[in-house]
Amino acid sequence: MSAVAIIPVVLATLLIGARGVAAMRSTSDFLVASRRISPTLNAAAVSGEYLSAASFLGVAGLVVKDGVGALWYPVGFTAGYLLMLTLVAAPMRRSGALTVPDFAEARLGSAVLRRFSATVVLVIACLYLVPQFTAAGQVLTLVSGSPYWVGVVVAGAAVSITLALGGMRAATYVQAFQFVLKLMLFIVPAIWLILQAGPDTRREALAPVAFTHFGQETDVDFRLGTRLAVVEPTAVRIDGGPAEVLVPGVYTVPGETRWSFPAGARVPEIRGAVVPGSGPWQRPLLDADSTGHPLLATLSVLAATALGTMGLPHVLVRFHTSPDGRSARRTAAITVFLLGTFYFFPAVYGLLGAVLLPELYLSGATDTVVVALPARVDPGWTGSLFTALLTAGAFAAFLATSLGLLLAVAGAVSHDLVPGTLRRLRLTAPVAAGVVVLLALPAARIDVGVLVTSAFAVAASTFCPLLVLGIWWPRLTLRGALIGMAAGFVASAGGMGAGLVAGLEPGLPSLLLAQPAIWSVPLAFATMMLVSLRGDPPPWAESAMLRLHLDETRVAGPRR
Amino acid sequence: MTRQRRVTVTSPQTRVALGRRHGPNHLPRLTPAEIAIATRIRRAQLRRAVTALLAVGGVLIGLPIVLALSPGLGELRPAGIPLPWLAVAVLPYPAMAGLAWWQLRRAERVERAAGPATETAAETAAETAAGRAVPRESG
Repeated sequence: MSAVAIIPVVLATLLIGARGVAAMRSTSDFLVASRRISPTLNAAAVSGEYLSAASFLGVAGLVVKDGVGALWYPVGFTAGYLLMLTLVAAPMRRSGALTVPDFAEARLGSAVLRRFSATVVLVIACLYLVPQFTAAGQVLTLVSGSPYWVGVVVAGAAVSITLALGGMRAATYVQAFQFVLKLMLFIVPAIWLILQAGPDTRREALAPVAFTHFGQETDVDFRLGTRLAVVEPTAVRIDGGPAEVLVPGVYTVPGETRWSFPAGARVPEIRGAVVPGSGPWQRPLLDADSTGHPLLATLSVLAATALGTMGLPHVLVRFHTSPDGRSARRTAAITVFLLGTFYFFPAVYGLLGAVLLPELYLSGATDTVVVALPARVDPGWTGSLFTALLTAGAFAAFLATSLGLLLAVAGAVSHDLVPGTLRRLRLTAPVAAGVVVLLALPAARIDVGVLVTSAFAVAASTFCPLLVLGIWWPRLTLRGALIGMAAGFVASAGGMGAGLVAGLEPGLPSLLLAQPAIWSVPLAFATMMLVSLRGDPPPWAESAMLRLHLDETRVAGPRR
Repeated sequence: MTRQRRVTVTSPQTRVALGRRHGPNHLPRLTPAEIAIATRIRRAQLRRAVTALLAVGGVLIGLPIVLALSPGLGELRPAGIPLPWLAVAVLPYPAMAGLAWWQLRRAERVERAAGPATETAAETAAETAAGRAVPRESG
């Protein structure tokens, strides 16, 4: 029944998308809605696009899994707009460039840098898109029992049709509509959950105890293969069979099985995981892999999320729909406010989830905690209703973010890499969606929040130094920009890749590879500046930079 | 009699976008007066941006350090909620919204205080905003 709730979301998205078709004529119309969007509407659209599955589902899931410290993620997500407001929003808009690669070429005059930037856009967009589609599949599996691939394909189809029909003009209205929708669908169920949970659960949520014994008979559905350490002899029923007593030891649970534990049984342990409710879990710092350096891990996540936001290609292009630099800056300020309102609430789902559904940490399905909570609080029809509402909101989150990202991909491919006509630009989006669907199908195991954060780390290590130095530092040279971006890209993407391949023991090296932002961003800045200082910027560089700080009313008529 | 030169009528942004096709060295050049204003604005904005960044850093770097150094804060529970949890889940958002508002007003004040725009520029801007074309007489 809950799966039906996504139908109105998809239909409304398509209808609002179709509205924009009539007025679309040029590439500029398609990409940036001909730049006539007010700050408030644009801020709602920015927020709507930005609040992805990682925000709607991922943060609450990470709270259950990693602890209260996971709430630093949304702080960084919001701080990103504060930094954009301060450093890039208005000058970036005044550059007149449509995309990040455009800006790179406008400021430094190099087609090579433009193509390199467009390639980085593709990498970031992929890292961000795949988990969105994965989350769509997971939520539909949970609420409807449909196979994983159905959700992935439905999401891909809806997104690419909307884009091909209406482009960004449609997307602005779609995104603004989706922001209001998501805000309502997130806040109302949260308040209902708080009221419905009862005083005992509320008290427990604020003073949790470690999840060491099952409070009641509990079914744990393992979707994927998992290794468990059974600590004391435990009677378990596997797939509804007769109870068998497991002796202490390490067990490998195959995927697609259900283990039922009796009330009072000792909870098995997972190596390296944080037990919900335990001391480390309650600590307000982030240490996902128990590396023993919570402060460093927290600061690295904050660096990636706060500095990475300005480098996200789908976010930057959105600021160009503002009519001028000043309204782009206002858009960023209103966005900080709108996002802050939304991000009060992931904590509610996370804290209630840790008390009511701690067993999700055993099966690794913590990303589904938001959608699974209403049924646990109220098994009746109200619970089903709220499950349906949250499913609709989660699906809206995938749609909104995927729309913006596919547009950035379409822009990078057909505007920067192989310049083409509007017709080609329209066709690029569905093709890109198809590629992402294919990538997402084998990626069911991925943690939504983690992969999204890696996209932030790459963006923070490449586009953030390019934009900040390009806007504020006249001495930036082309060589400096190219080598600095390459260094940041290799350090961040290469570091995370090496961390995955090497499989180090948890510790300082594994932390620095998995969360590279804390050293890769300074490295990129330093490389860019040192290489630039060894060369000479072209004579027009200073004028090209100063132009970005001159508001539009001051730039007079044409002259030679 | 000299024939008056015909000019293209475009918004400043369109002009920048068209000029960009040939690289930044083909953009319409700034006049010395514009360069002087832009230099002043940039310096003033940079100064304000740095203070704003210090304030943001205070929240994003200072708060985790304080929480890491004083685990005893967890004993304080206003309204039953551990204080460190409030510091992560609630406190940063109003703080950041306030900072955004403050920095927005300061940045806009710099642009207003830089003096009125040049006359021709103001005219062009007003007419562009009104959506009217500005045909010039041609002889």
